[in-house]
Amino acid sequence: MNRKIVAAVMAMAALGAALGGAPAQAQAEFGTPELIAAAKAEGKLVFYTANFAEVEQEVIKQFNKRFPEIRIEMVRAPGGQLITRVRTEAAAGKLIADVVDHSDRALMQPLEDLFQDYAPPNAADYNPDALISPKFWPRATIAWSIAYNTELVKNPPKSWMDLTKPEYDHMTGQVFAQSGGTTWTRIMFERQVLGEDYWAKQATTHPILYPSGAPMADALVRGEVAMGPLLYNVVYQKQKDGAPIKIFFPPEGAPVNPYATGIPKTAAHPNAAKLFLNWCLSKEGQTFMIKELGNLTSLKVPPAYPEGFDPKVVKVWYPKFDDYVKLHAAWVADWDKTFGYRQ
Amino acid sequence: MNGQAGRRTEAMRGGMMDTRRRVGASLWVALLLAILGFLVIYPVLTLLLGALTDTNPVVDGFSLRHLSIANFLTVLVNPNVAEALFNTLVACGGGTLIAVAIGLLFSWIVVRTNTPFKGFIAAASILPLFAPPLVAGVAWTILGSPKTGLINTLFKWAGLDWHVDFYSLWGMVFVFGIYYAPYVYMFTSSALRNMDPSLEEAAEISGASAFATLFSVTFPLIMPAIVSGMLLSFIVMLGIYGIPAVLGAPTNLAVLTTYIFKLTNWSPPLYNTAAAVAIILMMVTGALVFAQQKVLSGRSYTTVAGKAYRPRSLDLGPWRWLTLGIGVVYLLVVVVLPTLALIVAAFRKFMFIRDAASLFDMRQYSLMHFNSIFDNPLTLNSIYNAVEVGIITALVGGTLAFAIGYTIHRTHVAGRRSIDLVSTLPVAIPGLVIGVAYLWAWIGIPGGLYGTIWILALAFIARFMPDTVKALSTSFLQIHRELEEAAWVCGKGMLGTVRTIVLPLARPGVIASMTLLFVLAIRELGSSLFLYTSNTMVMSVLLLDYYEGGNIGKTAAFSLVQTVLLGVLIGGANWLSRGAAQGRVARTG
Repeated sequence: MNRKIVAAVMAMAALGAALGGAPAQAQAEFGTPELIAAAKAEGKLVFYTANFAEVEQEVIKQFNKRFPEIRIEMVRAPGGQLITRVRTEAAAGKLIADVVDHSDRALMQPLEDLFQDYAPPNAADYNPDALISPKFWPRATIAWSIAYNTELVKNPPKSWMDLTKPEYDHMTGQVFAQSGGTTWTRIMFERQVLGEDYWAKQATTHPILYPSGAPMADALVRGEVAMGPLLYNVVYQKQKDGAPIKIFFPPEGAPVNPYATGIPKTAAHPNAAKLFLNWCLSKEGQTFMIKELGNLTSLKVPPAYPEGFDPKVVKVWYPKFDDYVKLHAAWVADWDKTFGYRQ
Repeated sequence: MNGQAGRRTEAMRGGMMDTRRRVGASLWVALLLAILGFLVIYPVLTLLLGALTDTNPVVDGFSLRHLSIANFLTVLVNPNVAEALFNTLVACGGGTLIAVAIGLLFSWIVVRTNTPFKGFIAAASILPLFAPPLVAGVAWTILGSPKTGLINTLFKWAGLDWHVDFYSLWGMVFVFGIYYAPYVYMFTSSALRNMDPSLEEAAEISGASAFATLFSVTFPLIMPAIVSGMLLSFIVMLGIYGIPAVLGAPTNLAVLTTYIFKLTNWSPPLYNTAAAVAIILMMVTGALVFAQQKVLSGRSYTTVAGKAYRPRSLDLGPWRWLTLGIGVVYLLVVVVLPTLALIVAAFRKFMFIRDAASLFDMRQYSLMHFNSIFDNPLTLNSIYNAVEVGIITALVGGTLAFAIGYTIHRTHVAGRRSIDLVSTLPVAIPGLVIGVAYLWAWIGIPGGLYGTIWILALAFIARFMPDTVKALSTSFLQIHRELEEAAWVCGKGMLGTVRTIVLPLARPGVIASMTLLFVLAIRELGSSLFLYTSNTMVMSVLLLDYYEGGNIGKTAAFSLVQTVLLGVLIGGANWLSRGAAQGRVARTG
């Protein structure tokens, strides 16, 4: 049965190649004809992600333009809840996910044994700083920027250091340190690059603390806060739609958080999962995420940059994974104390 | 008098009861306890185990090796927990007082007076129940934020030097109070409607004023309903996450639920500590339930006896325009303002509002958010799933609650007290934590419960059992035993009596509880978060996605869709059962 389908698909692919050439050749970039045929035969996959559902809907839509035969069912949950779900499902032998996509690599690493060996065709093009295991890949790479409300801020900040200015007292907002891997990356950058006393200086502007970037972005648009550090991909869409905000990448550096994405050993649709990840990690997939969603990429040679990102001015900053794991507990506790955030 | 006679007949009946019936009763109790064991005790035990260990019972196995009270002690000595507990008690206590005052006043206005348009007031006043707490929170931050709130914008426009700040404990108390007033209203209005007015007439004939009658006869008689409504609204407020999350976050004002949510949302998540905090919540609730039983025990509140009567309404004369005025103001504050805030947010492209003039600038409005939510295939899916779960929960949960309520209040079988206690337990556990407990407890059950709609429905049935049983018990308490005894004397069996006497009399209560269950199931978020899977996503989870995705416009648009849908479904169900029930759901629930 399967072989028949494979044969039919291959025949069609050959026909397509003979007639137009382009589509089949373009598809070859994402996997062997066997893989593509098997993925299409599976017809669907279940995708667990810690990223925002709306952003991932766009990725799925784009993927379906290439491969309309593969339906993607998404489960989205905040990082901590997603990990609990994956661990519990796996322990009960009921892990439904074909792809798990998580923002906190330190939480994913202990689960390495649940995942199968996988590497995309362009594996060698990826920056080793973004890789923590041969099983996990940086499907998304998210960068921090500074955003401000143009209606409220007449003299906007131009750098990370500017956010500590006394004139911005009671105007800033922040996502608290304990919220997850992306924020942890930012506060680590602040302490290691901007200086040991950066947190204390910033705390004197009495920032409002938010549990995650999205509600803070919304508060920024409404004018509840006037400025603050935000993930570029959270505010990019709003700026594009015409909200009264402006985003920029400060010159001291852009801390980036690569995701860890893998395929569980128990995946019921492994071929579809591979094809989906191959596409996401390909130049085409990464370019789409950079241009349309405001991501960065962990490819050594970025195929594009988001609007306003000048690689000559702004350096991308990757956290050292060792520090990322070891410093977490102590530094987050320090941060909580500095900002008066109660546990 | 009545009580004595009742006891005597019972003694007689007890003497006549044959062994077969006794065995049947024990089997019945065993069955109920088995169901409750699966739905409540087993998940609560996994939760306790979680609180007392540092392990995930599914991942690390059910072992007692790491048993310690370390988590518990950490929680007890943490000053922030004490502060959160204090905030919780103030917010819920204050909120309950407001809810009782408003709910009682309105049930009296609607049921017992000739206030004009009271049907309309009744229908509109329960609307806040349809809105998920998260949405209520969002609506009130749009209105009451100290910096950007519409109320403050309008004060400024009107040249008034007034200022409101809802990002405070008092803001929380106010929103809790008006938001849960319908809860109290639901309980007290059905009790008022089922009350025999001859008692009030007696008071008036003896020379008591209308006002004195109200406080010396009417309210004392419906005391069980008032106490139940009060207790339940307090307990439900204890477990609410959405409102304090939205209003408390900007000033870092924590209550126990937001504290628990924080713990589960941190990375790495601290579920075991969260479970320990949840146990504090359970203890507070347990104390309240105990207090309620102390207050209500040993008294008779039966007001429905075997006599025909009609509820009467008091002629208020010109004062009826005052009560109408109060009704209109209430509707304005509780329904119209938040709905307007949501409508503005749903249709406005961006929520930055410089001044009052910009609020009325029509170029700022569009259908953008509605287009984008219906462009998302998950939207229709989630609506379909939510309705399916809601219907299953209402039917199965309503039936189970009826069986439990009847057993607790109308029989004398051994074990009914434990049934009462166990069925009240889930109320004390916040949804988010009990969601994890259900996941831990039920994922391993063979037969593939996990990943289906049924695991959600079972969780909701268990979680809302106390609400449903309590809502039904007021109906049971009011039906005099003599009516059932009459049926027994006429040779009806137990089931026959239930079918021909109890069910028809308790029908408004049963329909109201099922409706309540349906609404609660559709709104429920906390326990869904862990139990839904890719093809069983429900509306509340998608709503949280929109909110967490930082889009207040889509959140508002989707909550309007949800509110309208609930209104249509409940209105429809109501219209279908209009002949059967004595009034509209707006009146019964």
